[in-house]
Amino acid sequence: MKLIRSDILENLWLALATLRDNKLRSFLTVIGVIIGVVTVMLIASIISGIDTSFTKEVESFGTRSMYISKYNPGIHVGRLSREERMRKPLTYDDAIFLSKLPTIEVAVPFLEITNNFFGQKILVSGGGKTSAQVGLQGTLPDFERAGTQTVAEGRFFSQFENDQNQSVCVVGSKVADDFFPFGSPVDATIKIGSEEFRVVGVLQKREQFLFSGGSDDQNNVIYMPYNVARKLKPNSEDVELMAVAKPGMMAEAMDQVTDALRVRRQVPFGSPDNFGIETTESLISTFHSITGGIAIAMVVISSVGLMVGGIGVMNIMLVSVTERTREIGVRKAIGARRQDILWQFLIEAMTLTGFGGFLGLAIGWLLTLVVKLIMPSYVPLWAPLAGFIASVGIGMIFGLWPAWKAARLDPIESLRYE
Amino acid sequence: MTEATVETSPTSSGVIAKPELPSNGKADVLILMRNLWKTYDMGAEKVHALHGVSFEVTRGDYLAITGPSGSGKSTLMNLIGCLDTPSQGEYWLNGKNVSEMDDDELARIRNQEVGFVFQTFNLLARATALHNVELPLIYGGIPGAKRHEMAKQALAEVDLADRMMHRPNELSGGQRQRVAIARALVNHPSILLADEPTGALDTSTSYDIMNLFEKLHEAGNTIILVTHEHDIAARAHRIISIRDGLIEKDERIR
Ligand SMILES: Nc1ncnc2c1ncn2[C@@H]1O[C@H](COP(=O)(O)OP(=O)(O)OP(=O)(O)O)[C@@H](O)[C@H]1O
Ligand SMILES: [Mg+2]
Repeated sequence: MKLIRSDILENLWLALATLRDNKLRSFLTVIGVIIGVVTVMLIASIISGIDTSFTKEVESFGTRSMYISKYNPGIHVGRLSREERMRKPLTYDDAIFLSKLPTIEVAVPFLEITNNFFGQKILVSGGGKTSAQVGLQGTLPDFERAGTQTVAEGRFFSQFENDQNQSVCVVGSKVADDFFPFGSPVDATIKIGSEEFRVVGVLQKREQFLFSGGSDDQNNVIYMPYNVARKLKPNSEDVELMAVAKPGMMAEAMDQVTDALRVRRQVPFGSPDNFGIETTESLISTFHSITGGIAIAMVVISSVGLMVGGIGVMNIMLVSVTERTREIGVRKAIGARRQDILWQFLIEAMTLTGFGGFLGLAIGWLLTLVVKLIMPSYVPLWAPLAGFIASVGIGMIFGLWPAWKAARLDPIESLRYE
Repeated sequence: MTEATVETSPTSSGVIAKPELPSNGKADVLILMRNLWKTYDMGAEKVHALHGVSFEVTRGDYLAITGPSGSGKSTLMNLIGCLDTPSQGEYWLNGKNVSEMDDDELARIRNQEVGFVFQTFNLLARATALHNVELPLIYGGIPGAKRHEMAKQALAEVDLADRMMHRPNELSGGQRQRVAIARALVNHPSILLADEPTGALDTSTSYDIMNLFEKLHEAGNTIILVTHEHDIAARAHRIISIRDGLIEKDERIR
């Protein structure tokens, strides 16, 4: 610590004075640093926002839920392999079989009929309005027991209604709001394709992940009895399954479901599964791998900004050293040692980039307020800390060579410098 | 300069008597130079700015160095002030062998033992008079409060107590030089060096500065100044004349 001594404050004061005297030049120099720090702040807040709302959303499906499809779990990039596309579908019977496993509380099939036989969207109309954006799913009344959806008004359809092919449905909150903005949709009639349905219940509004709207909207959905859905799309038995484990039996349930499906789908011993099970946990970890990628991109972008800033700082510090050669000579003549001069210019460079970092934090913070308007987000503490430390560090690294040059100047030659 | 001059330069230090410091009974020797050379290597030829300068200065003396332009006065002053190192020879300042010191040790000597006054003042333009005077104390590691006190006192000694917060461009030439003198004195150095301190000043201001030097000398300071004006040199107690890098004349006038 002897190296730093008491004149560190002195140097800081000096550096701030220099900065004040060269406002515009300093600002232009540190633009790269500002961009770097703003990037860190902004992307950190966006990632945090996506992360929190995604985690919240996924966890609302319950930690005991499994979503089973005939495709492999995880993110799919590009075309599916031929083997994957040719897999045989999961069936209604698979769902019924799974629901009887000892570790499983509920298992239901989902038959998606949003598109008709010809691949066209099935139109939904009611209350004088028509939409092609509503998600249509056929399932069993046991779905209510899975605990991921709550009925806000009316009731869920019954097993009896399913068995009797009755055209009843339960609508999501967005469907209720869109088609029946005034008054309750319960007992109203909705036309799906050419069939008329009676609404028996409205679901509780679900928290949205990021942006709302479109057919992916979790609330823009209509559930109808499985048998009725089969009738609307008679050619398809391609279902996805949802299974909920009994409390505390998630791991065993996963094993049992996997074993059962392997047997039922005749997977040879030693071959990989020809289906995929997603859990809340696996979804979150998949998601984290995506946000991790974004974070790496962020580090790259911001380090480019910081590097550009660093080179600018080095340049301006070299100019500053040349401009102040005489001053350096005077300081040496009255007793400044090499390390005193070295510290003076190092601290000046660090103050410069630190100032850039500070501006970056301020601008970045304002921008995160804007992000907050779009999605729930926060700025994790590490982002401003890392941004600021990185900018000061850049000043130190890129200021070293100019400061070293200054420190090594010969007193006589510097005093004679014009 | 010719090759011959290079050959006559002393190569063995055995010739030089080890100076006895401080010499008992005799006057207290502050500066002792033995056969000092300063050679600038200009590639094709070597320029000998000083060739074999030897002299002593006792504590409390008031010495003027004169000589024509290019004779080596500034070169000698820079060596005395430890701003530069001799190519050859021995230099003892206040009992320390300066000719063998490294960069940091020389900086320490410049800070503690020497007060330097320049022809062009060499004040920091952006700093106040007070701050300029504080600078040597900062490098001397003296804490803030004490530093302020000492700097204020030094400025008061050069009659600038009322100009402490002025920047150099708000001061007259004479006042600037007095700030520079205060800066040179603030660390209570053992010697005050001034290279043409009146060179940038008009006659009456020059006399003010010379009066100040006289006062400082009477207060016990050892002073060496370079000048090529006879009336300025005549106010010192001893005059050394230099020509072509050699001492031509060394006379005591008071
Ligand atoms: N850095 C240098 N490189 C080469 N030669 C130098 C250098 N500094 C001084 N000299 C030479 O050394 C000699 C003495 O120079 P110095 O500056 O000591 O003269 P001076 O007596 O102070 O002159 P003046 O009265 O004009 O200031 C000159 O011939 C000069 O050209
Ligand atoms: Mg000179």
